[in-house]
Amino acid sequence: MQKTLFFILMLSFTQVGIIQAQQKNVVGRDIGELKNINISGRITDEITGEALVGATVTVREANKTEITNSNGFFSLKLDRAEYTLEIRYVGYETIVYPFVAVGEGRINLRMLQEDFQLDDVVIYGRDPQKNIRSTEMGAISINMNTIKELPPFLGEVDIIRSMATLPGVSQVGEAAAGLNVRGGGADQNLIQFAGAPIYNPTHLFGLFTAFNPDIVNDVTLYKAVIPAKFGGRGSSILDIVPKSGSTTNWGGDLMLGNFSGKLSLNGPLVKDKISAQVGIRGSYINWLLQSLNNPDLRTSQANFYDANGILYGEINDKNSITYSFYNSYDDFALASDTTISWKNQSHSLRYAGSFSKKTTIDLMAYYTLYDYSIFNQSGINNFDLVSGIKDQGIKFNFTYAISDKNKFNIGADSKQLTINPGELIPDVSTDSGILPKKVQDEFGQESGIFFQHDLEFGEKIGFSYGLRYDSYLYLGQRTVRQYADNLPTNIGNVIGETGYGSGELIQSHDGLGPRISMRYSLNDMTSIKAGYNKMYQFIHLISNTATIAPTDIWKLSDEFLQPQIVDQYSLGIYKNLKGNIFETSVEVYYKDIQNIVEYKDGANLILQNHLETELIPGQGRAYGAEMFIKKNLGRTTGWISYTYSRSLRRVITPFEEEIINDGDWFPSNFDKPHDLTVIGNYKLSSSTSISGTFSYSTGRPVTFPEAKFDFAGNSLAFFRNRNLQRIPDFHRLDLSMNFKLKGEGKFFDGEWTLAVMNVYGRKNPFSLFFADQVGAPPQAFRLAILGVPLPTLSYSLKF
Amino acid sequence: MLKRFLYIIFLMPLACIDPYEGDIPEGERLLTVEGYITTNPGPHPIRLTRTDTYGSVFEGLIRPVVQARVGVRDSEGLVTFLTEVTQGVYNTPESFRAIAGLSYILQIELQDGSNYTSLPERISSVPQLDSLSYRSIEVATENRDLPRSGVQLIAHFTDPGDQTNFYYWRTAPASYVLVANPELHTLPPTHPTNPRGPDPKDCCAICFVNEQSRVQNFAIASDEDFNGLQTRFPINFIEDDGLRFKDTYRAEVHQLSVSPGAHRFLKLIDQQLGITGSVFDQPPANIRGNMINLENPDEVVLGYFIAASVDSKQIYIQNENLEFLQSPKIIADDCRLSEGALTQPPADWNP
Repeated sequence: MQKTLFFILMLSFTQVGIIQAQQKNVVGRDIGELKNINISGRITDEITGEALVGATVTVREANKTEITNSNGFFSLKLDRAEYTLEIRYVGYETIVYPFVAVGEGRINLRMLQEDFQLDDVVIYGRDPQKNIRSTEMGAISINMNTIKELPPFLGEVDIIRSMATLPGVSQVGEAAAGLNVRGGGADQNLIQFAGAPIYNPTHLFGLFTAFNPDIVNDVTLYKAVIPAKFGGRGSSILDIVPKSGSTTNWGGDLMLGNFSGKLSLNGPLVKDKISAQVGIRGSYINWLLQSLNNPDLRTSQANFYDANGILYGEINDKNSITYSFYNSYDDFALASDTTISWKNQSHSLRYAGSFSKKTTIDLMAYYTLYDYSIFNQSGINNFDLVSGIKDQGIKFNFTYAISDKNKFNIGADSKQLTINPGELIPDVSTDSGILPKKVQDEFGQESGIFFQHDLEFGEKIGFSYGLRYDSYLYLGQRTVRQYADNLPTNIGNVIGETGYGSGELIQSHDGLGPRISMRYSLNDMTSIKAGYNKMYQFIHLISNTATIAPTDIWKLSDEFLQPQIVDQYSLGIYKNLKGNIFETSVEVYYKDIQNIVEYKDGANLILQNHLETELIPGQGRAYGAEMFIKKNLGRTTGWISYTYSRSLRRVITPFEEEIINDGDWFPSNFDKPHDLTVIGNYKLSSSTSISGTFSYSTGRPVTFPEAKFDFAGNSLAFFRNRNLQRIPDFHRLDLSMNFKLKGEGKFFDGEWTLAVMNVYGRKNPFSLFFADQVGAPPQAFRLAILGVPLPTLSYSLKF
Repeated sequence: MLKRFLYIIFLMPLACIDPYEGDIPEGERLLTVEGYITTNPGPHPIRLTRTDTYGSVFEGLIRPVVQARVGVRDSEGLVTFLTEVTQGVYNTPESFRAIAGLSYILQIELQDGSNYTSLPERISSVPQLDSLSYRSIEVATENRDLPRSGVQLIAHFTDPGDQTNFYYWRTAPASYVLVANPELHTLPPTHPTNPRGPDPKDCCAICFVNEQSRVQNFAIASDEDFNGLQTRFPINFIEDDGLRFKDTYRAEVHQLSVSPGAHRFLKLIDQQLGITGSVFDQPPANIRGNMINLENPDEVVLGYFIAASVDSKQIYIQNENLEFLQSPKIIADDCRLSEGALTQPPADWNP
């Protein structure tokens, strides 16, 4: 806790060394000198304070150039006038320093290393004023260098968990990989890698993300006013753009940690024409397990790996082709009888070209699949339960920029979806008491056309509007049930069945989704923005658990399950302070969600041919306020984000047996009103930095039993209304220390990272449950995923 | 499962499950009804209790509801009263049997005058239980060297294709041959001259036990997956406790045909019994029953009054057919001294 306070204090009070060129500086004591005024100065490193030897100091107006001496000093003789000083040094950010020379004086300037700059300028990319000047709202780009500065999760840099440190983005708990963006469910986010959707990018049941940070260039999360080129999901788009390899020379990264290691390589296949980037990451938990004495552990296994490849070919200056490949695989066997495995795979091929300075064209095709299986080999009722989803799609995007301030974007996309919701295959070699079962496959086609126009009127006003038309077809082959009118859709009320042939249209849905945002800049450093967007979502994650689990089923909209429709209104004020060193923002939003999937009491989702009997459409609404302060530069960087938000659900039904919470609004599984994250990174020296993350959030809703009763000798709990109680509040502090080796030559640039998660060992409950144990009264138990401080150590090497 | 998984991942006990001391809301004590009537001859017991609250150590007693007036009324207007045999347990007369095709309601009047009724339960005919079979199975446990074992009972029946059927299986109290070793009897350790010395008895090695266990297994199914098919369905697991399967064990299975509402209720019960506290657990569900307070329809009454037609079969399980057995427990004494043991087999014992 003290450390946290320390970070907060550091963020608040650290003085910033860099001098920004906002107004003219007056140098010297004015004693009326006119000519040959002696101006001297010293150039030092911003972080270490070391003198920079051999930096170039140029006075543009006087056409004079000086080089700093072995102590970093320079001196100039100038006439009384206004000048602009430019200081350059290899590997450092150039400083432009306007000043007025009025008398003999000194100018001491500090320069910042370029790679520190990359580390530090994080949110809203490399243009420090982008948050103020662009009309975009709720879009957050995080540079990979920034993510790498955060305390690692289990020794690994985690892209998705890093997103959860930002305002308006949260996670259900420590074993939940999905993001909840502004009160939306985990399935309302489209996670795409190189343009292809990835359905379950997690390792180890969601403990961490299956993206190798070494091959990722940057990550952008759109949580409001989602550009018209994206569609199909209600809450957000997480766009992960991989790096392409260098076309000039070979290099790579290697990292070894406690549990896993990774290696990536990149370089030219044909110099200046074709480059390759490959990355692989794997766990070696298995080897450790096999060396243990405990027979349960020895016969268990936990494997995961992910692999990526990017081939980049330059046809000429203006045209390029990129092929990206992504694969992740997990299998986990408990004491060798049940193996759960899942994999994601995607391929995408992209052509990017420009015919003139004003036009660019982007064409891509992709194929992605997500499969999971549960293989039971306990010797009794052996079976294999498999399921999967497949997407193949194309996208076309054309941009015409009349000027920087007037851009058009039009395009279209289409994809085919195939879902295998589940197939149970009994093992014929054992006398299995299980019958084989195959749930009907689902087929759908989702298409969209869109345009967007971004326009700026002078410096003050920006305007962006767009429209997307989404069309969705639900196709055969399929047998669809009919249910009696005015009765609940359950098996007792089936009145008939209709068979549809392969490719035959069963149901169609479509809708228009406008996007609009406006900006008004009060001044250089302050702007106000407002926005609205409407999104349609035709695919739903059917999951009865609070997190994304490998047993979840994806389900397409059909005649019972209407598309989710999300309307979001947002308003924000953005202000940068102290020459963009501090960025601040306050955003408020309101979101209305239609046709959200809720579950009837005791819904049975696995191997269910007619899911409509288990589901019930609900309404959702979410609102909140997000506050954000970020310090971009200096020895101490970091941010504080605080969100107050609510995410509520309601089910209205005429049928007694389907009523949930008396038809009132109730909190969703991830309704966590207060959510605070404090992140600080402090550079002790050029080679050592420490960072810390403190997070706090209100405990998530759970359902407590009201009473205990008996049935057939078993004790049972009576639950009346859902989600009306909460687990205890969540808080956790993670710290890490990063030590860079001073490499000899350019080949070795190693880094040690020592991290401790959950420093003060808080037992944050993931869930509470109620059990009768022999010899004890019925009581509540909590499951904490990370109950103790967890140290990790990793070594990474760049070459 | 997740807990063990985490052990494996981190090779140290990171995750933990421990008691949670929090504010558990104090619930009302709700009336709970448990029991069913069938087309078999009575008595059919109906049990009335009040719930208790989760939480403190000193609470936690489920209390019987005594001295209520309980009756079953059929759709032809005939009312049969039940009599309280033990505290909170009300039996139908032995002569009472429900009739397929009729509907039944349960009526309760408590001592305080409040009146309750169930919604009508219609009895549909039950598909015939063709036969029973069993197989010996082994169940892995936390301790790999000591797996549990037992017998799985399997029902064989043919589901009628022209209707939707909901099945509910219960087992009647079982009987088995209790094998003792009176010849191994020893003197008590306090014996003045020969403590723990051999003291063989002449009688008796073989008894019969009628087993009444507190926790009763049940199984449910709907014909969604096997409509119109000849089906076998595992319906019960009888754990080997080292005594049951030393010789012959007789199980009696009731195959009941229940209403859609009863099936829904039983499914929710079954589901909740499967909750283990892992992250993959289903969220808790409201287990709604079919009882209503006539004066105050908003009062929550738990439990479901089930009326069902039934078909029953017995099966004898022989020790020599079992592949997996626990090491037998030795009773080094006269078997008649064991609780509930009789020297005579039940009247219809016919292995």
